[in-house]
Amino acid sequence: MNSIMKLLSDAIFYNLIREQRYMQFLDGLGISLQLTFYSAILGTVIGLFLALAKLGRIKWLERLATLYVDVIRGTPVVVQLVLIYYAILGSSSFPKIVVASIAFGINSGAYVCELIRAGIMAVDKGQMEAARSLGFSYSHSMIYIIIPQAIKNILPALGNEFIVLLKETAIAGYIALDDLTRAGNIVRGRTFDAYTPFILVAIIYLYITTILSWMMNKLERRLRESD
Amino acid sequence: MIEVVNLHKYFGQLQVLTGVNTKIEKQEVVCVIGASGSGKSTFLRCLNLLEEPTAGEIYIDGIAVMEHRKDINQLRQKVGMVFQQFNLFPHMTVMENITLAPIKLKKMARSEAEKRAIELLDKVGLPDKNNEYPNRLSGGQKQRVAIARALAMDPEIMLFDEPTSALDPEMVGEVLNVMKQLAHEGMTMVVVTHEMGFAREVGDRIMFMDEGIIFEEGPPQQLFKNPQKQRTKEFLGKVL
Repeated sequence: MNSIMKLLSDAIFYNLIREQRYMQFLDGLGISLQLTFYSAILGTVIGLFLALAKLGRIKWLERLATLYVDVIRGTPVVVQLVLIYYAILGSSSFPKIVVASIAFGINSGAYVCELIRAGIMAVDKGQMEAARSLGFSYSHSMIYIIIPQAIKNILPALGNEFIVLLKETAIAGYIALDDLTRAGNIVRGRTFDAYTPFILVAIIYLYITTILSWMMNKLERRLRESD
Repeated sequence: MIEVVNLHKYFGQLQVLTGVNTKIEKQEVVCVIGASGSGKSTFLRCLNLLEEPTAGEIYIDGIAVMEHRKDINQLRQKVGMVFQQFNLFPHMTVMENITLAPIKLKKMARSEAEKRAIELLDKVGLPDKNNEYPNRLSGGQKQRVAIARALAMDPEIMLFDEPTSALDPEMVGEVLNVMKQLAHEGMTMVVVTHEMGFAREVGDRIMFMDEGIIFEEGPPQQLFKNPQKQRTKEFLGKVL
């Protein structure tokens, strides 16, 4: 019993306390959260434009958006990240977090596009007809009638997308960005203990995603109440 | 008021309207009857370009609608429409449903629009429902709100697309009564309906549509009592 306690306290001491390694994890978490936040915003903006392009009546825009979504969804995000880092943005002096945010934002945009498109298409088409029959233009019908209803369909799925995004940013280490997962890796390199740092990393991710899911559930319930 | 010349509408290979010609006068109440698939709803929806006609001309107040497509939003403000499925905006209260278009499109002051909405709700027999959301209303109440919403734009013409077909039988009467009242006040109305009693009582003219054209038309006494064509007789024999 005593030896187990000793093992545990040693593991925690070497991986967390010594040389203030807990700061490594905290900084990493900060980077992961920032990266998720910026990517989520960029992804939502890109996704909204893609969705409108896909739903609109301008043929070449629609094709372009479809191509974008197909390419992004058909290739691994880690490949996109590395390509964007080395080939496109690597030569400039952008901070890595900006490059990574752009890469994950571009990736997430393709998925958000489909969420928004599905949410808009789920609104009964009689709504558009009623708005148009009153004399509203297509864009005003969208703004006043369709999008407010679509948001209710979209928000829960969008929340899920952000949770997925948080976990996906774990590959940011590929471009040497010190996110939470990489922090675990760095500590492992120092302590030669493979289990403790990554168990800690896993617990932190789980904790954050649990909070996010809980918030999403609350939001979903509130949206349903107003039905 | 409305003139339709040689209107055609195809959905791909399917020819739904194959040459509709008619004139609808101011204050006239025209009831369009016919079997399902005869093109009567499509005809109605072409009048405000909710369906794009394949060929032909539509004139509203002398304006060639097809040539003025970019002014279609202006034109639609003059043509109210009531749908089979009501199509109220579920995220807005009854009051907001009615006042949205006058406030946004006619730049009416909110207070004025709300005053007008209350008058309209009174008129359709729902004086105390302005703060309800549509899903709290019965079908008949929803359709009466939909009528009030269309009237809020002060249209010159009202189009009704089977306004009672989605209602429970006991609610049909309350909607028809509102429409009857509207007709008596001199509103120009085009009503696609299966309610033969209403058509006979309120209609100035009955249009029987079949095979994508106006197969036979005339005043209700004539069309219902003494139809000239065999197809009209068969149809009336089934529904009366």
